[in-house]
Amino acid sequence: MKDILLQTAWSPPRQLSQSQHQVQSTRDADFAYEQSPDFIDEVYDTSGEQRSHWQYLLSSMASLGGDAVADRQRKALRILRDDGATYNLSAQPQARRTWGLDPVPLLIDSEEWSGIESGLIERSELLDLVLKDIYGPRDLIRHGVLPPELVFSHAGFLRQCQGIKMSSGQQLILHSVDMVRNVRGQMCVVADRTQAPSGAGYALENRTVMSRVLPSLFRDSHVHRLSMFFQTLRLKLAALCPNNDDIPHVVVLTPGAYSETYFEHALLANYLGYPLVQGSDLTVRGGFVWMKSLDGLKRVDVILRRVDDYYCDAVELRSDSQLGVPGLLNVVRSGRAVVANPLGSGVLENPALLKYLPAIGKFFLGREPQMDSVGSYWCGEDNDRQYVFDHFDDLIIKPVFRRSDEHSIFGAQLNSEEKTALMARINAKPMSFVAQDYIQPSNAPCWSKDGLIARPLVLRSFAVANPSAYTVMPGGLTRVGSKGNKIITSSQPQSTSKDTWVLASEPEKQTSLHRDAGAVISESADQGMHLPSRVAENLFWMGRYAERAEASLRLLRTVFMQLNSVEPLSPIARNTLLNTVTRVSTTYPGFTRTDINNAEAIEKELLEVILDENRAGSVVSNLQAMLTSSEEVKEMLSGDTQRVLNDLRDALADLGNALRLGLASAPEEALDPLVTTLLALAGLNHESMMRGMGWRFLEMGRTLEKSYQMTSLLQSSLVVELDESDQAMVLESVLLSFEMLVSYRRRYRSRVEVKSGLQLLMVDQTNPRSLQFQLAALKEHLQGLPQVDRAIGLPPEGRCTLEALTVVQLADLTQLVACEEGTYLRAQLEQLLNRVQELLETTATLISDKYFDHQTAHQQLVTDRWEDD
Amino acid sequence: MLYRIKHITHYEYDKPVTLCYNHAHLMPRDTDYQHCLESHISIAPYPVSVHQSSDYFGNKISFFSVENKHSSLEIVVDSMVRLNGERIDPGIDLDFGNTCTQAREKMHSLQDETTLLAREFVLNSPMVKTSDALKDYAAPSFRSNVSLLSAARDLTRRIYTDFTYDPESTTVATPLYQVLEQRRGVCQDFAHLAIGCLRAQGFPARYVSGYLETLPPPGQKKQVGSDASHAWFSVYSPGEGWFEFDPTNDNVPAEQHITTAWGRDYSDVTPLSGVIFEGGDSQVLSVSVDVQRLQE
Repeated sequence: MKDILLQTAWSPPRQLSQSQHQVQSTRDADFAYEQSPDFIDEVYDTSGEQRSHWQYLLSSMASLGGDAVADRQRKALRILRDDGATYNLSAQPQARRTWGLDPVPLLIDSEEWSGIESGLIERSELLDLVLKDIYGPRDLIRHGVLPPELVFSHAGFLRQCQGIKMSSGQQLILHSVDMVRNVRGQMCVVADRTQAPSGAGYALENRTVMSRVLPSLFRDSHVHRLSMFFQTLRLKLAALCPNNDDIPHVVVLTPGAYSETYFEHALLANYLGYPLVQGSDLTVRGGFVWMKSLDGLKRVDVILRRVDDYYCDAVELRSDSQLGVPGLLNVVRSGRAVVANPLGSGVLENPALLKYLPAIGKFFLGREPQMDSVGSYWCGEDNDRQYVFDHFDDLIIKPVFRRSDEHSIFGAQLNSEEKTALMARINAKPMSFVAQDYIQPSNAPCWSKDGLIARPLVLRSFAVANPSAYTVMPGGLTRVGSKGNKIITSSQPQSTSKDTWVLASEPEKQTSLHRDAGAVISESADQGMHLPSRVAENLFWMGRYAERAEASLRLLRTVFMQLNSVEPLSPIARNTLLNTVTRVSTTYPGFTRTDINNAEAIEKELLEVILDENRAGSVVSNLQAMLTSSEEVKEMLSGDTQRVLNDLRDALADLGNALRLGLASAPEEALDPLVTTLLALAGLNHESMMRGMGWRFLEMGRTLEKSYQMTSLLQSSLVVELDESDQAMVLESVLLSFEMLVSYRRRYRSRVEVKSGLQLLMVDQTNPRSLQFQLAALKEHLQGLPQVDRAIGLPPEGRCTLEALTVVQLADLTQLVACEEGTYLRAQLEQLLNRVQELLETTATLISDKYFDHQTAHQQLVTDRWEDD
Repeated sequence: MLYRIKHITHYEYDKPVTLCYNHAHLMPRDTDYQHCLESHISIAPYPVSVHQSSDYFGNKISFFSVENKHSSLEIVVDSMVRLNGERIDPGIDLDFGNTCTQAREKMHSLQDETTLLAREFVLNSPMVKTSDALKDYAAPSFRSNVSLLSAARDLTRRIYTDFTYDPESTTVATPLYQVLEQRRGVCQDFAHLAIGCLRAQGFPARYVSGYLETLPPPGQKKQVGSDASHAWFSVYSPGEGWFEFDPTNDNVPAEQHITTAWGRDYSDVTPLSGVIFEGGDSQVLSVSVDVQRLQE
């Protein structure tokens, strides 16, 4: 999963001044892009002349002017952020870094591209042959082309996959290569990705953004389109379907929302029209793979995987993995499901293979491949190892098997002690290391605050199998290094990307692209019906958490206002309100403790109820849980919704400061932005979400939670009778928190009293916040869910909701407000509210049991675990 | 020699298991000197699917799943195997063929398929990793001018002599260095130990699992189920082939060793493994093996 790591290295500019421009008074100087003499440059040829295909772009940008380009870049970053385009650095939601995009694309002319393209096609075909051979006859080993240890010692060689073949031609479906331009000016491959190549989705996103922020430049440059690549992928995946009785069901398998490239998984799933699933959404039954959807198990034929092969099946592969589908490999072995790329294809990512590709080419094709690979030395060979030790300074040392904790090492950066230590590591496990010649990558112009400056780059391009060969994405994902960094990885905050434009000599005809669009649409329309139950569950909880946070926020806002109001609260009214805070937010013991009685302690507790993310029920913890759920269903949310969620993240990040600053005066205002954002979110869900099952679960979560919050609020504010003025104060506060005090006064023209308050909050059918209104809505949503058998009548969760609704409808308000003889307790009201709460809890449990997945983690039958090497 | 082998594996779970996926290496494979005439696997409760296949090493592997709630799982494998007697004369003088030095040299120089593919078995495997300790322990047996096979036989004898057979001392998960330190273990540990020694010395070695016919003490009737699954090792001498040794019994497998499967170590040929869902928190495993020599 660790992927977009482009492990090539750059050396820093040899003289600092070379890539820096004189600061000039006019912005025109920004576009005076100069070549660094020691670097190959994409813009200039060997004689220092600007290449013709760059002229139009550079002059157009110059005529736009520096301010305009800077503005377009800001726009681009805003779109990326709104699209939720991130590259996750860790599981922390705060560590999501918005994808960086430089507004200057990398240009490649069509003549050069056609050479690269045919080289890449040949390379993909060759690697496909290697893959078939390694898991088949192993002729490359038998005939001495590959050293046996190179394959046998590689952790990506999965013996369990021996002999597994898809019926169709190629086994390698997706392939990506990282290329840099070498000193001879030719593109040269530094790495292959064959497991679950990432980056194609980011390339698509880059293209989408570029065509929006620089539309006319893009249009007039005649850029080759990317859609053919994705169209080919879609057709190929459909063609891989091994079960030929109906429409192929394809899913995209992701490790989950915390994967680094999760944005891309969601983007591709949406773009291709496939459900995005996690391992736990799938199950193996009766020899097939199934998706656990709301209306039962749906067969899955083809899995486009973004989970590393090793993690895909705990039965046969890594036994402690919870990311895969237990039993998957055997379904694949029996030919009832296809995984692309096939399990075991990680063996091709061994960088030591690059050394042997010329020999492999001769063995299979009778010729060396057209495309050069970087000079590579495998430490498993004695001569190579000696060479590596003698030439550390010119080499990049890599592990043969990528792991998240092992990185490429640039030999020249090591001091002599580090070199000795590295030599010892290599000598201990020589087969695990490979070295590559350091290639100084070419430079290309990048936009910075100082105008255009030269930056080194790596191009990742992508190939996908088509019925006869491979289709290469024209262009790809260009990653740009920052100045002075020798080894660039995506985890560097400064590193950024570029769109890659392969320039056509004439405008490209677009007719062919949508040739099969009809077929594709019917396929995706069919798939839209099958929502993984995990997605439904997350939407349900997203709704619940949003409402919890909103209810607490509203109440807290009111409490702050009342505490600081000109008319001081009586101690009883104050305590009742504070207890209500604890009750509604469920942050017990909170104000039910008796030792919180001075202003300072109250303030401290209120702040905790808002800010303490480790306290269950706090506003921040609810909002974070809501954001976590939203990450899990990213592919279901509209662009506008992403934007609102981003606003929410910002408001959340700022909340602590805003509150502390505001405590002295009007702390409630610090909460306003959050309430507004939550309202916007609810509005968007209501306005722009398709009325499918996903929407129903979200709304069910909301209505269920709103009903529950209302009962809690009524319980703690109205069940105990207070004296008239305290009672009025408490009720007013409750009405105020819902912004209903004005409507109340307009309707009743009187001082607030319990009975009319109850009327408004509990049974008023025209008030969308009333308990009855919400229960009725919940009942509607439940009726809209898929039912196994409607003939047997109302399902249990429907009965519960109906009973709750009926109890409320039949309530006699006069009796409810009356106290038990000789007490201050409105016993009937308490009873009713308790009953409704019970019924809501049962409904929630029933929904969860019926529609959500509750399979617990699996365990080993025999616990014979040993450490991996 | 014709054998009938009945191998029963029984799991008893204290809480029901809702779903399990398993694979088993329980059916004897064919080898140059052994032919499996028939082998039948039966599983209770009745599995949803049983799928027979051949694994990477050419062993027979059975995949099955049980998708209903069950509190016990029983796998019975009933096989008929004929050993054709061409294996080796257990009393043979092994002082022939490659010396240790020649064997090491030929492992690098020979380019025939068998030798190239055998190089896989010099490498570390999940449960057998070489170490200096293993190399040192092995050293006295592998003197340069001794034939590799005599050296392997000597190693077999030394393990038999230096180590105590003690079923209480180890589990399937006990690491090799611990076995070497405590000088105790069972057949699986001794096979791993020998393999580790051979690899540390630069020779290919593989793990062989199977059965050993045991004979009752004189005058007593053989008890059904008293046999056990067994394990030993095999070493490759370049240009000469694979040769088996049994360090648990200090002998050369011949007419009483029936092969089930081989691999780099136990993990490649685990008799039964898989995952279970829910339940099964504490499970009781019982295994019964019966090797019966049939009259011909």
